[in-house]
Amino acid sequence: MNATFLGELDQIVGREGVLRDPTDLLTYESDALARLRRRPGVVVLPKTAADVQAVVRHCHQNAVPFVARGHGTGLSGGALPAPDGVLIVLTRLNRILDVDIPNQRVTVEPGVVNLDVTQRVAPFGYYYAPDPSSQLVCSIGGNVAENSGGAHCLKYGFTVHHVLGLEAVLPNGEMVHLGGATLDTPGLDLLSVLVGSEGTLAVVTKVTLRLVRIPEAVRTLLAAFPSTEDAGNAVSEIIAAGIVPAAVEMMDRLTITAAEAAVHPGFPSAEAVLIVELDGAKAEVAELFGLVERICRSARATEIQIARDGEERARIWKGRKAAFAAMGRVSPNYYVQDGVIPRTKLPEVLRRIRALEVESGLRIGNVFHAGDGNLHPLVCYDERIEGQGALAERVASEILTYCIEAGGSITGEHGVGADKVQAMAHLFTADDLETMQLVRCAFDPTNICNPGKIFPTPRLCGEVPGPYRRHPIERAGLAERF
Amino acid sequence: MVDGAARSLTDLMAGAETVAGRGTARAAAAGDAIDGVLPRIVVEPPSAEAIADTLAWASRDSLSVVIRGGGTKLDWGTPPRAVDVVLSTTRMRAVLAHRHGDLTATVEAGAPLAAVNRELARHHQWLPLDPPSTDRATIGGIIATNDSGPRRHRYGAPRDLILGVGMARADGHLAKAGGIVVKNVAGYDLARLLTGSFGSLAVIVSATFKLFPLARTSRTVAIDIAGARELQSLASAFLASQLTPTALELELPPPRLLVRFESVEAAADEQAREAVSLAAAQGAKARVLQDGDETAMWDAHDRRPWEGRGAIVKVSVLVSDLGDTLTWLAEAAGIDDCEVTGRAGLGVLLIRVDGDAEAQARLLTALRQRIPVGRGSAVLLRGSRELKARVDAWGPIGDGLDLMRAVKQRFDPSGILNPGRGPGGI
Ligand SMILES: Cc1cc2nc3c(=O)[nH]c(=O)nc-3n(C[C@H](O)[C@H](O)[C@H](O)COP(=O)(O)OP(=O)(O)OC[C@H]3O[C@@H](n4cnc5c(N)ncnc54)[C@H](O)[C@@H]3O)c2cc1C
Repeated sequence: MNATFLGELDQIVGREGVLRDPTDLLTYESDALARLRRRPGVVVLPKTAADVQAVVRHCHQNAVPFVARGHGTGLSGGALPAPDGVLIVLTRLNRILDVDIPNQRVTVEPGVVNLDVTQRVAPFGYYYAPDPSSQLVCSIGGNVAENSGGAHCLKYGFTVHHVLGLEAVLPNGEMVHLGGATLDTPGLDLLSVLVGSEGTLAVVTKVTLRLVRIPEAVRTLLAAFPSTEDAGNAVSEIIAAGIVPAAVEMMDRLTITAAEAAVHPGFPSAEAVLIVELDGAKAEVAELFGLVERICRSARATEIQIARDGEERARIWKGRKAAFAAMGRVSPNYYVQDGVIPRTKLPEVLRRIRALEVESGLRIGNVFHAGDGNLHPLVCYDERIEGQGALAERVASEILTYCIEAGGSITGEHGVGADKVQAMAHLFTADDLETMQLVRCAFDPTNICNPGKIFPTPRLCGEVPGPYRRHPIERAGLAERF
Repeated sequence: MVDGAARSLTDLMAGAETVAGRGTARAAAAGDAIDGVLPRIVVEPPSAEAIADTLAWASRDSLSVVIRGGGTKLDWGTPPRAVDVVLSTTRMRAVLAHRHGDLTATVEAGAPLAAVNRELARHHQWLPLDPPSTDRATIGGIIATNDSGPRRHRYGAPRDLILGVGMARADGHLAKAGGIVVKNVAGYDLARLLTGSFGSLAVIVSATFKLFPLARTSRTVAIDIAGARELQSLASAFLASQLTPTALELELPPPRLLVRFESVEAAADEQAREAVSLAAAQGAKARVLQDGDETAMWDAHDRRPWEGRGAIVKVSVLVSDLGDTLTWLAEAAGIDDCEVTGRAGLGVLLIRVDGDAEAQARLLTALRQRIPVGRGSAVLLRGSRELKARVDAWGPIGDGLDLMRAVKQRFDPSGILNPGRGPGGI
């Protein structure tokens, strides 16, 4: 990178906030999807929103691409650096700026760790609802960028349901405030588009979040089933009974074994376990929890453990939340997939995954947010065996085709990033993708903000699309556009 | 610039029927007027493709288009200068899919909400939105205005329930975003972008929503309250409690809080009892309503601001600013000249201001001056032309306005969709 450009960065964030030594850069070559690596041109660690703004403006003036990075726990290569670009690491913007309990909101800087928000407000009887399994380490800025979810999003919604206001630096260096402390700020809802845009539209520098009151009652059970199909049936019955659980999670034998080996949650040995949690008013939870228990039994549950207190509940959740990391106990390498299907397609898609397991010879563990049909197949492989890494990748992407064919999506929470750009073209038509990029062009016409992510074919923003004219064949009903 | 004024009516009709199909266009009649402005023609395309083709034609010929669903909120916001084409979605009213096992449904934009919910009720589910005029208000219009009602307290607004959208772009391309599953982060969230866009970016042709099971039992606790400050303090007490109401509404005059519990019977009863004691602890008198009395009370509450002819302002403030705002309002407007209902737990109010345009404008301006940008807003929904000539319907938009304009420019480069009517004049 050009020395004057770098010199200016030193001026903005101070020497100790600029990393350019190759060994220092190593940490920043990838996020948690270690397969995709690229060395950043330079890493900057600003301490304030004003610094971020100055860095972005500097990039814009010099037509240098930049990528925002939180704590680097992303699983789709979203924070993969741009070639010869600036990586803006937001971990030093880590202050909780305002806690407003009467209005049930907090304002934080993007580098604040997810769980820190809950820890800060728990003494007042509140928590921050979106709870990704990585909540101990991931940042709010990353959560906003990925629209992260967690086990409890079935009832409480995803990050987008909990963000009220954003301050962000646009790719041209201007700062905007979207949403605010109150609801329904007039104007286009650009806040909702910025959430989940994977760092491709702006760098978020401040976030106002909604807090949720800790419920009066919480009850959790763990039920073991002779097959994932039986467990799936139980989920369907629970939903059909008109119950909206706080969480419904499923794990299969392989992931149970892995979790047992890693954190010993005391899960029964079974083909599948279901974790069902209800929360809310005492009387409601008491009545519906009994119903859930009966449903599990009639769906052939072989064993039901009911958490008697917070400690036992924590133990059950520890087993679930450790599932990804625990796979290291049963396989030297594994590939975490993230796909979504309509929940009722679960048995069908699981059958296809089992067949794929046999056909490929690779073991596939399954852990999922069963309530909302979000699958996390874990494809096991051994990179020391020639060709297995590539095979695992093919298997993982084959599973995505099953998701698309079932009417689902290629990602429920980990994002498209650099990893799934090609799959986007299978899920969406060229027109769909082009329409999304209209937004991109409005925010980032010169394509310097996290370029190369999400979209398979970046659009040049100069052109304004002309009116569409239907082809005579389409007009005659002989061809469909999609 | 849009300019269809130079075109003859026959020319417009012929143009529309070529793209949208025979028998889909007619000359506008008095009942089609939008905030006092008579459009030239009304087109009712029968399909998404026909809508897209109509838009492509309008873009090519620079015709201004106003999208109409049930027509219940067409007079919200800035009045149009001139309208060439009213594009009506009323021929598209099917529930395309109700995946009850997945708790989702895909619906065409022209379907009235009440009709949709009748269909969903067959499987004891619903799209939990309860804005005004549900029998006429269409799904498309409700999304475009992000309109909601008392149950927003528990279920959120359309923005919180929408999963995917099918749209026709101004240039005539059909596109979709999101999907039919409840969890999905693939691509930009255009469904939410269109939500609340007031028809300024594209025509919503269909949408997929997350549904909820219908509650088994409902109870409402109606609490009479001494004044605005007491109202805020009781609303705050409910928020701080662990009760889980589906609605926490205020209305005045006279000040009342309406707290609804919907759950299994035991829980609805128990929570209603607790709500009564919570009110009693603050010295307020409460009673529990159910069945017919309850329904009638909510119907009256929902209609309240819309009855009478005054201007309707939607005000958004922090819950902790509710007491001050209401007290100020009662003094500034005179309590007999306004009517307030709203979400006490969310700080979103509908205020009807009676009196002449001059007085209404003064009040709205003063109200806006009280509210710093970022800490609330006051948007004029319904209002006379005289009033809207005096004050901007939307009020200050903040520093995101240029960006909103850039988005509008990309989606609708010829500026045919609802020109000048949207927030910030987009
Ligand atoms: C073990 C494990 C478990 C996980 N479990 C879950 C889970 O349950 N649910 C879930 O949703 N995810 C999960 N994840 C994925 C990951 O933790 C989330 O995506 C998280 O939100 C990323 O946060 P981060 O701070 O690490 O972001 P990074 O990885 O640093 O960045 C992620 C993306 O956000 C962008 N970004 C970061 N900060 C900003 C900012 N301030 N402004 C604009 N863009 C920004 C980056 O450019 C990048 O595109 C898991 C990951 C791991 C490793």
